[in-house]
Amino acid sequence: MAVDLTLVSFFALAALTLVSGAVVAFSRNIIHATVALLGCFLGIAGLYVQLSADFLAAVQVLVYVGGTLTLILFAVMLTARIEDVRTSNTSTGLPVGVALVAALLLVLGKVATTTAWPETPRAPMPSTAKLGHALLGDYLLPFELGSILLLAAMIGAVVLARRAVKRNWEKA
Amino acid sequence: MGAPLVLDNVQSLPFIGPELTLGAGILLLLVWELVAHGARKRVGLLAIMFATLGAAGAQAAFALAHDAPAVSLFGGLLASDGFAHVFRVLFAFVTAVVALYAAPVRADDALPGKRSTGEMYLLLLTVALGLSFMAMSRHLLMIYLSIEIVSVISFVLAAFSIDDKKSSEGALKYVIYGGVASGIMLYGMSWLYGATQSLALPEIGARVAAMSAAQHGVPPVVFLATVCMLAGFGYKISAAPFHMWTPDVYEGAPTPVTAFLSVGPKAAGFAVLVRFFAEALRATGSLHASPWPLVAGVLAMLTMTVGNLSAIGQDNVKRMLAYSSIAHAGYMLLGFAVFSTTGTAAIVFYALTYCLMNLGAFLVVLALAEQNGGDESVGAFRGLGTRAPVLAACMAVFLFSLTGLPPFAGFVGKFYLFAALVRGGGNFTWLVATVGVLNSVVSLFYYARVLRSMYLTPAGASDAPVVVARRHTATAIALAVPTVALGVYWAPLYDLVARTVGMVP
Amino acid sequence: MPEFTGPVQHVELSTTLWLIALLPLLGSVTNAIFGRRLQKSHFGHDLAHKLHIGSLGVTLVAVGAMLAAFALSLWHVAKLLALPEAHRFLFCHAWEMVRIGSVDFGFDFALDPLSSVMILIITGVGTLIHVYAAAYMHHDGAYWRFFAYLNLFVFSMLLLVLGDGFMVMFFGWEGVGLCSYLLIGFWYDDYAKASAGMKAFVTNRVGDWGFVTGLMLLFWALGGAWLEGGSYQPDNLPRLAAVAVESGEAEHGGHEAGGEHGAVTAKAHDADGDDAVGHHAKAAHPQGNGTFDFTVLPGAKVYVDGALAGISPLTGKSLHAGRHTLRVVPGGGTDDLEIPSFSVEAGGETMVSLIGPALSFRSLHDQLVVRDAAGHHTVREGLQSKKAWGGVGVITLACLCLFLGATGKSAQIPLFVWLPDAMAGPTPVSALIHAATMVTAGVYMIARLSWLFALSPVASGVVALVGALTALFAATIGLYQYDIKKVLAYSTVSQLGFMFIGVGVGAYWAGVFHLMTHAFFKACLFLGSGSVIHGMHAVVHGEAAAQDMRKMGGLKRVMPITSRTYFVACLAITAAPFPLFAGFWSKDEILWRAFTTENIALVPGALIYAIGLAAAACTSFYMWRSYYLTFEGEHALPKIATEVHESPAAITWVLVVLAALSTVAGVLFGFSTHLLGGHGEPMLEEWLSPVLQHAVVSFREGGLGLEYALMALSVGLAIASWALAKKRYGAGRPADWAAREEGLPLFDAIQHKYWVDEAYGAAIIGPILKLRLVLADLDKWAIDGIVNGAGVVGRAAAWTSGAIDHHLVDGAVNFVADRTFAAGERLRTVQTGRIQSYLYGLVGGVLFFACLGYFLGR
Repeated sequence: MAVDLTLVSFFALAALTLVSGAVVAFSRNIIHATVALLGCFLGIAGLYVQLSADFLAAVQVLVYVGGTLTLILFAVMLTARIEDVRTSNTSTGLPVGVALVAALLLVLGKVATTTAWPETPRAPMPSTAKLGHALLGDYLLPFELGSILLLAAMIGAVVLARRAVKRNWEKA
Repeated sequence: MGAPLVLDNVQSLPFIGPELTLGAGILLLLVWELVAHGARKRVGLLAIMFATLGAAGAQAAFALAHDAPAVSLFGGLLASDGFAHVFRVLFAFVTAVVALYAAPVRADDALPGKRSTGEMYLLLLTVALGLSFMAMSRHLLMIYLSIEIVSVISFVLAAFSIDDKKSSEGALKYVIYGGVASGIMLYGMSWLYGATQSLALPEIGARVAAMSAAQHGVPPVVFLATVCMLAGFGYKISAAPFHMWTPDVYEGAPTPVTAFLSVGPKAAGFAVLVRFFAEALRATGSLHASPWPLVAGVLAMLTMTVGNLSAIGQDNVKRMLAYSSIAHAGYMLLGFAVFSTTGTAAIVFYALTYCLMNLGAFLVVLALAEQNGGDESVGAFRGLGTRAPVLAACMAVFLFSLTGLPPFAGFVGKFYLFAALVRGGGNFTWLVATVGVLNSVVSLFYYARVLRSMYLTPAGASDAPVVVARRHTATAIALAVPTVALGVYWAPLYDLVARTVGMVP
Repeated sequence: MPEFTGPVQHVELSTTLWLIALLPLLGSVTNAIFGRRLQKSHFGHDLAHKLHIGSLGVTLVAVGAMLAAFALSLWHVAKLLALPEAHRFLFCHAWEMVRIGSVDFGFDFALDPLSSVMILIITGVGTLIHVYAAAYMHHDGAYWRFFAYLNLFVFSMLLLVLGDGFMVMFFGWEGVGLCSYLLIGFWYDDYAKASAGMKAFVTNRVGDWGFVTGLMLLFWALGGAWLEGGSYQPDNLPRLAAVAVESGEAEHGGHEAGGEHGAVTAKAHDADGDDAVGHHAKAAHPQGNGTFDFTVLPGAKVYVDGALAGISPLTGKSLHAGRHTLRVVPGGGTDDLEIPSFSVEAGGETMVSLIGPALSFRSLHDQLVVRDAAGHHTVREGLQSKKAWGGVGVITLACLCLFLGATGKSAQIPLFVWLPDAMAGPTPVSALIHAATMVTAGVYMIARLSWLFALSPVASGVVALVGALTALFAATIGLYQYDIKKVLAYSTVSQLGFMFIGVGVGAYWAGVFHLMTHAFFKACLFLGSGSVIHGMHAVVHGEAAAQDMRKMGGLKRVMPITSRTYFVACLAITAAPFPLFAGFWSKDEILWRAFTTENIALVPGALIYAIGLAAAACTSFYMWRSYYLTFEGEHALPKIATEVHESPAAITWVLVVLAALSTVAGVLFGFSTHLLGGHGEPMLEEWLSPVLQHAVVSFREGGLGLEYALMALSVGLAIASWALAKKRYGAGRPADWAAREEGLPLFDAIQHKYWVDEAYGAAIIGPILKLRLVLADLDKWAIDGIVNGAGVVGRAAAWTSGAIDHHLVDGAVNFVADRTFAAGERLRTVQTGRIQSYLYGLVGGVLFFACLGYFLGR
């Protein structure tokens, strides 16, 4: 009996995502965490492929793995004294957190496995054209709203960042 | 009224006039901020800000006054109906008032922390845009996007005070908390999408109804998805137990921002909450048909109790008002818990009155702290009755109204909330109402502390008379007068609200 | 056929009625805000000094507001006069406050003949007293505050009498209580005065409890019934009903229109033009049309046959004869009300009434007088058949509760104790509030609800009996008082008792008549005493000494105008010997009606009459005693002759006007040709008859001879008492008159006011104070049990003793508060400031609700 390759690859990707995610969350070394984030993003890109979202997967790789992560790495590297980060706010009540999340997962898992999810046939693979039509047709408004969100986020970032710049300059 | 008119992109544009105006205002401000200098810059900023908000509010008010027919815009992404119009007017008003608080007095003047007012105005307008879209959204994607706009800008606004550790700390907590809450909400949305194969609220409503009918009750998957989304909504309206970011952020943020956060996003959160439950879940007040009244009732009781009890021991008035705003979210949830049009009308009416009194209370804190070097403790209010009689009288009006004593607007608002609740009938409703009334009594404790400090504690030897900026006094009076007037003569406003809160069918 | 027929109240719309009440409010607000500055300014200083009044600015505002209100009242009463009798009801919808279901708490004002009498007294006598007070209070530092309060009082009183429903009346009812409290304690530096204010306030709360309870009982009883076992079953849900209007004369004179209902006498005003009813309807409506009125639920949109007919209240709308449908949208999110089908008859008038629980007097009245198609007074009979817990008729219970409210406000047994103490306030306050207006609110309320009280002979009997006992009781206490204001205070309580006899035995108009004449002569007496006190301040120090009649004597020679007006007012109140003076007419009418009444149960009318007669004799005695001791004989203090002078013109002129009114008002309003063997009615009775005619009352035919005989008896007794008083206290009184008094029987008991205050102290106030201690102990014990810490014990003990020292029954309150604070403290520790714990809260919240739905729901 042939092993369902789809299933195997799903579990592999899920494991990659989760384990990298765990490293991001728990690693004390910020370089390790950043590199592990790469694995997490890649795993998610793989899951997108599995869900027939080819364009989305490509964007995930290009934007997050290629752009965002590189930027984060640079930022981390350029930061002075990354080795001895002083944790002023130690994780407290970890058992409580684990217990809560575990209980929540239990409930979610129970419901997820007992629900008869409606099934839809898998969409044809090149989804780019459909996505394009959607973004400039039915979903034009969310598309524009997304751009406003990004603009606002950018302005916000500038506002906050300039503070630090100004402060350094003033000190000088 | 037949089936709603569903319009596509181009035809929809005239109906989002207020939002387009806000967008144009944002761009104008952006440019003006870069090109203008000196006194001209200040005048221009104020002019653009208030003209934009005035125009946006006026368009919505016009639609409201003319009973514009309810339509569904952009192929079902947005709703343009009375319910949305009321909130759009409210948001324009709130933003304008807050802009007034933060207005520069002199040409080279800026906010505490030497931050340019232009940037703050720009961000405020963007939030106002997000708030308007929140009130109109009838599509999960739009709900998420608009909530995110509001959240992201709120993070920045909360961190606006330069060199203030509290502000930065609060903002960071806000970011983390908001991020997690959004994540949980998004997860819930994905479940809902998975279960119903749709993002549009009316379609979700139809599918959920069909599923519920087949299973003789709300399916667990829908329930769980809703609870996850409730975390996101609850975080926006700061309902317990999703409220814990509130005190830290409110205390840390600059006071105009706190005033804004306590009114604008909260009201918008209620708009989304009400619309989601009405359209996507078709919730009714019957305890037998669905678990929603129970969930909402418990949420309301928790929120009121936690907010009021925590507020009692607070010494910082801003923090106290933060808890009080949690408690007031609880009162509004009372109207939500019955899932009826009366309840919705009561929520909207309460939001209107709450906006007046809460903005007013924060204004007094702001005006006072401006004079005494940022002291926001209850002690700073001592002898205010003699040091700044007008301001103290206004504060007394706001506090009495927040407590819900007649003849102030807060009493009327609360009256309608409780009336809507009691009309729902049933033992559980009475339990919720009783908890609500007890909470109202408790709230008197901490509001009265400020009152006592103002009128019964004599001013210390070092307390000079407070010289309040004239515009602050004028604004305080302008907010106090309707607070009293609506406590005596509210019928027209309530009629208007009750008549217009209908949603797109 | 319309659903109902009956003499429902016609309504004429007025848009200006509320201005009457508004003007004093404006005056009050102006003085409250600008008064202090006005008083400090030198505006009109010389003129004010010349007139011996206080700040001219403040006076102008206060008196100006009163004068304007009086003029406006006169104008509205003139408008009322111009209307045909059945239409004398001006209605003004100011705004709607809140509506719950079909019950609206609107700010609605109404002016009918009854309230017109009241507003004329309030604004007329009120204006006079304001003028008087301008002189009386002119030295007071808080002159402006006094007038702000006084105007506010007039505003509240006008609300009370102009309100179209219980709601506005209650606003006024509480408002006058508040103003009374503020004004009694006007000189709040004096502890005794401040606590007298407090006593009045607290005593009135007991009455208010009765008022509200009665109101609720009535409200519930109209909408449902109490079944066996105590559960409540709604049976008369609020609804609208079309009523064919029938002319007001049908039930005139208290006759049950039992047999006439077959003929629906919706008075046709078609051809002959002789219509007393529909004067406004006639010209506009051609044949074949009828008129339609909709005046309930003011502010609601009215749709007739689907088209918007207007906004309520609307009157005189012409509809063609035949069937119509009606839909009403009250607004405010409440459900629509409708009448699927009703008919309008050609030339007939159809009015929509509200059936079911209501708060408006008119709605209550209308549904009690309408008859259904079968000729039954459905609603009234339903109400009469209802029994509350224990089998007592609900109407009786409600009336008794409302009467308890009246006893509080109008100082009757058992709640009269506050009024004598209320004399601590400035004398103009005593005259205006505690003699002429506020204390008559209870009488007014019963007259206003005459159609309700008339349905319960038991309650009416209680009202009459309590009134009679109070009249006698207070009159005897008045016999040996030395404080001139105390004499007048007990006299007021006693006279109020007479008014309650009147409204109790069914002679509502006579009660109101006495209310009116009493307002004149008692105001005159109080102001006269005030003038005396004003003068006496020149020779003695302190409030108590200035009011002590033992220190007066012979003031006639230095204060001629005051003494003469006081004399006239004494003649008026004692009702003897010349039947010319006002009090004779009203008091005699009350006693005659008490003698012949057939409307009361429990006690015979003759007994009420006898008690009233005794009280009248006592009245004559103590009034003349006060007159002689004050004005006649030797000066008790020799300095009086040189240092006491007549009061300024502002005071004496007011006295003269009031004395004149006390003289003529009786004959003018109370004389009828009936006394000469004709068939006329007294003017006031005729004027009030549209309001009072639906109270079903009847009196025995006594005969003119008997009436004259009784009249002669009361006059004779009064003269005898006068003679006795003159002999004892007249100009040639023995020097040791006071000592001789003390030897008289019952002197001790009367001096101590029968120890009523002491009895209340021992029976009610004492136990409450004891209960406080018990509660405090209980509290201490509870805290001990819970916490067990030595520090907490100490704290609780200190706290307990603090509670004993300062507070009344706050132990339990503090306990709850303490627990609440503790809970708050504990909750606050959750807010650690750590973001991790916040996120646990978030996840935990989701989990909590997930489980909640999972385990409890589905």
